[in-house]
Amino acid sequence: MALAQLSCKVGDKEHNLNAMKRNIRQAKQKDANLVVFPELALTGYTCRDLVYELAEPIPEGPSIRRLEETAKKEDIHVIFGMLERSEKARAALYNTAVLLGPSGFIGKYRKTHLPTHSAFEEKRYFRRGYQAPVFETDIGRIGLIICYDVFFPEITRILRLKGSQLTICISASPAVRREFFETLTVARAIENTVYLVYVNLVGVEDGLQFWGGSRIVAPNGKIVSQAKYDEEDLVIGRIDYAELERTETFVPTLRDLRPELFDLLKEQAENL
Amino acid sequence: MVKLRLTSDALNLDLSSVESRIKRFIRDYVKKSGANGVVLGVSGGVDSSTTAAIAALALGGHAVLGIALPEEETYSVADVQHAKLVARKFGFELETVDISPILTSYFHSLPVYDVADKLSKGNLKARTRMVCLYYYANRLSKLVCGSSDKSETMIGYFTKWGDAAADIAPVMDLYKTQVRQLAVHIGVPKGIATKPSTPALWPGHLAEEELGIKYETLDLILFGLEHFMTTEDIAKQMNLPVEFVDEIKKRWLATEHKRRPPLTAKLGYRTVGSDFRLPYTSR
Repeated sequence: MALAQLSCKVGDKEHNLNAMKRNIRQAKQKDANLVVFPELALTGYTCRDLVYELAEPIPEGPSIRRLEETAKKEDIHVIFGMLERSEKARAALYNTAVLLGPSGFIGKYRKTHLPTHSAFEEKRYFRRGYQAPVFETDIGRIGLIICYDVFFPEITRILRLKGSQLTICISASPAVRREFFETLTVARAIENTVYLVYVNLVGVEDGLQFWGGSRIVAPNGKIVSQAKYDEEDLVIGRIDYAELERTETFVPTLRDLRPELFDLLKEQAENL
Repeated sequence: MVKLRLTSDALNLDLSSVESRIKRFIRDYVKKSGANGVVLGVSGGVDSSTTAAIAALALGGHAVLGIALPEEETYSVADVQHAKLVARKFGFELETVDISPILTSYFHSLPVYDVADKLSKGNLKARTRMVCLYYYANRLSKLVCGSSDKSETMIGYFTKWGDAAADIAPVMDLYKTQVRQLAVHIGVPKGIATKPSTPALWPGHLAEEELGIKYETLDLILFGLEHFMTTEDIAKQMNLPVEFVDEIKKRWLATEHKRRPPLTAKLGYRTVGSDFRLPYTSR
């Protein structure tokens, strides 16, 4: 698979679409079956009020259609982030990850945890997602999460319990948070014995500097591939699903789960 | 919960990382704006010397134009020499514009001019410097690069639309003592990095004297406020009277008007400065 760590031009979908298409072709030339782009790669992250004019319905939006063509032509899977507009309510927007395959649109995931603190203002613009789907594809069972979701073990756990072998976290993380993400991506991989792929933006938007550092973390917590910090990069890495079984036997976290604790967790969380 | 300790260690930085992030920020903004570089006022003090130096490291000295803007009342041979030293060391051109005749014209032209009102006169100097810098920026297709630091910005210790007026302010998220650390790290001569700060609005004008506090102390108080600490907790940790810390906090809150675009009465659907929320986009 290919980790396509891009710097985006804020609000310029045409520019970003062309960069994505170029990266898809390059990934294919390097024999990748899947190419992953960062969170909101189609528009850039800090769109603020421009979100209302930039969001598109999924999968009917024109940008998806164009990327679908490229995915079909290159016979490749593509994951990327974009602003989604609900078909029913014009102001209902989502921060969404899209999965395309060689036959077109496969599915989407809407970000569950929306950061609205510090420099982040996602709840102002986005509605939360309520689903955590796992997609059965020719290249494995794939679960998607977005950026701040990785701070919450629940969502990756649900995906793993639904059978995800490859959990992909697309992100727009600024440099001050690098240590958190480098720790949490490893933690989510180990505690679920799952491949955790992290793809982050680079570049500067509104004073925020995205740090890149995209990576593939194996189920045993080892970093299999790592992209550069702070620069655009296209890194190819290999996923070996047999590693899941090897690790699961050695670190049997799923076998040792205690579901009865989840009731307690819910009760406590509701009374914070 | 581990308590935040207000010791000088709290203000230590990963200087290599800070340097590269500031350089990337400057390069990125200048490139996206379509300008061919930056112009900045270089007084020979630590903030402007450090900002000019890091801008030259980021863009190359050829893209940086430093302007010394002295005036007769506060003229300092040492400051001018320091400005020249930094320009030579970091390879950027330094031009000198004596603003004394401009100031004299103002004094003669303003019916309410009062020589005894040194604050209004001092602010006029800072704003005159700003006008000159923007003239250069317009003429030469450059951006004005400000050198305000976080300590002065937080307590409002600057001239509104004067020294803080700029297109970018690369060290505005660093406290004064942190700017000094960065200065030493990037090779600004130690004599400049450690010399007492002066806004040079009137003769003998020293920042710490006017503020009544050392930057080492001020920065830790502001750092505590930044991290949502109570004034009681800050005062206790730093062994200061709580009233003193309260005064700093009041000053910080009371000067918000200096850090924002002008406030307006909300009348429209979306209002500039409040809910008109647009991103910076490239040209």
